[in-house]
Amino acid sequence: MHKVYRRLAKRMTATALVVALAPLYAVGAGIYFYFSGIQEEQIKHELSTLAHNRMSAISLFLDERTSVLEVLAQTSSKEALTQPGALEKVFGLLNRRAWSFLDLGVIDAQGRHLAYVGPYPLEDRNYSEAPWFRETMLRGTFVSDVFLGFRGKPHFVVAVKHSAGANSWILRATIDSEVFTRLVQSAQLGQRGDSYIVNCEGNYQTPPRFGGKILDPSGIDLKHVPRRINVVERTTAEGKHLLTAFAWLPKKDWLMVIDQDPREALGPMNLARELELAVLGFSSLLIAASIIFLVRHMVRRLEEQDRERMAFDAQLAHSGRLVSLGRMAAGVAHEINNPLAAIGELAGLLDDLIDEDFRKSHPHGTLFKENLAKIQQHVERVRSVTHRLLGFARRMEPHLEALEVNQVLTEAFSFLEREAKLKGVEVKLELAQDLPSLQTDRAQLQQVFLNLLNNALDAVEEGGHLRLESWRDDGEVVVSVADNGPGIPEDMQDSVFDPFFTTKGPGEGTGLGLSISYSIMQKLGGSITFESVPHQGATFYVHIPIS
Amino acid sequence: MDSFSVLVVDDERDFLQALVARLSLRKLNAAGVDNGLAALEHLDKAPVDVVVLDLKMPGMDGLQVLDEIKRRDPKVEVVILTGHGSVESGMEGVSRGAFAYLIKPVKIDELLEKIVKAYEWKQTNQTLPREEDI
Repeated sequence: MHKVYRRLAKRMTATALVVALAPLYAVGAGIYFYFSGIQEEQIKHELSTLAHNRMSAISLFLDERTSVLEVLAQTSSKEALTQPGALEKVFGLLNRRAWSFLDLGVIDAQGRHLAYVGPYPLEDRNYSEAPWFRETMLRGTFVSDVFLGFRGKPHFVVAVKHSAGANSWILRATIDSEVFTRLVQSAQLGQRGDSYIVNCEGNYQTPPRFGGKILDPSGIDLKHVPRRINVVERTTAEGKHLLTAFAWLPKKDWLMVIDQDPREALGPMNLARELELAVLGFSSLLIAASIIFLVRHMVRRLEEQDRERMAFDAQLAHSGRLVSLGRMAAGVAHEINNPLAAIGELAGLLDDLIDEDFRKSHPHGTLFKENLAKIQQHVERVRSVTHRLLGFARRMEPHLEALEVNQVLTEAFSFLEREAKLKGVEVKLELAQDLPSLQTDRAQLQQVFLNLLNNALDAVEEGGHLRLESWRDDGEVVVSVADNGPGIPEDMQDSVFDPFFTTKGPGEGTGLGLSISYSIMQKLGGSITFESVPHQGATFYVHIPIS
Repeated sequence: MDSFSVLVVDDERDFLQALVARLSLRKLNAAGVDNGLAALEHLDKAPVDVVVLDLKMPGMDGLQVLDEIKRRDPKVEVVILTGHGSVESGMEGVSRGAFAYLIKPVKIDELLEKIVKAYEWKQTNQTLPREEDI
């Protein structure tokens, strides 16, 4: 492909790609962003609801435990609970209903542990210095943060005070961390979601699923967490991108945190996006391939057509030049013919007048005679040149018109009809009447028919037969000229259309008739063929294309 | 062969005189004129069997002269002999009634043959009905 067409193909391809793909991508992006927005809102809403429910459940859990202890403290006496076996009984009753107390203890106003049921050896401990003790004595009811205490293991306690002045005492229970942690972690979502509680200092109160232990700082900046339930997108110190719901417990400065991996949350959306991208990619490839194929095909056709047109233009220009040349040749031939004829006739006359007596009696008689003969020979030479020029001029100027082949044939025949009659030659015409009109050059076709008829007439003896036929064949009209003359000898059949080939006697034919006819028919898009059986005659076929 | 009369019409005087002389030498009753009007006048005065007619002439051109000859006496045969030859003008001449068509320069024998044939045709034609009359 020429570079002009390559550039054209590139520009067309680029334009077509932009026009075809831009709306596709715009619609794809629009759909994607619209639905991902909806999906994100939906996820945040669900997360917020989950946080609210979990926060309420945890709050209820703590309230229940606190209430049970409060009822017990208000309805029992220190003495009754410190009786041997009494506290074990109560502990057993409590845990039968709710398996969430790890131990239970009675502490007097001085911090002494009066009675204890549980797995740790804490009976003689004094809690007067413990923060929870002081808070409980001060507030009456207290749920502690998670701390290590005497047992050296993270835990938190619920403590209620039985107020009786100096005889006040405290009922204290440790909440089973496993139960509480399970309760908190039940809010964990998927494979990468997390849920935990942090205190007002930001330390973990339940163990997180990833990246930390209980009591470790969580890294959450609590100053910016509002009191209401709040869903935010955040990035952790480790660079983890998270969707997080925050919910403060109403009666305790604890923050319920539910983390969700946005990739996981948006999994279906991502799948949809990947699917959409795959569809878009496939469509784009298909469209691009079609466009490239079509554009290449079109541009190639265009190039071919342009090339054909240029060739045609060039041919037209060439023909134009040939036509001018032909006209000039014809003009020259015409101008030469008249004086040449005069020269020929004048020399001929002198030749006629120099008879044998004159030739012998005059000292230059023979020279006169010889030179006059030479002048006539040279006139003949020039004549053949001007006649060829005229023939050339005719062939250079094709003039197409709609014509009836039969008419052209009968016209040509009428040219020779009288000669045929004088020679006693019988001519039969069998012309098909259903022939289509043909677009071709009348004068040139006449020339061809004349040449063939002339040859046929020359070939037959007196009393011979000619047969002219026309018929329609596949896509062409065929005219045949048949004679019953001597035919063409087999060894000469290959040379019939060669220039200067002739079977006529010296001076009778130029040998150009068939050669010119052959080139005329080639030029008109047709052809000439022949069949000949020596001593029986020859048939020439002129094939003229219908279109 | 009988002597018969031939009229040569051609504006090229040298050619005309030489041709008339040569035809006369060949025992024809030949005469020559150099224009169409003179040819018609000649035809009025003397009987002519065959006219040898040039096509391109000042004044009346050959085809007009041909028409006029054929109008006055269809039996007169015409052989066209011109330097401005083409198949079209030849066809045109033949379709208007000329017997034959030759391009200058032509050998005297070739011309003589056509003239004789034209004369023979004229003789035959006088005894046969013309095609146009059928």
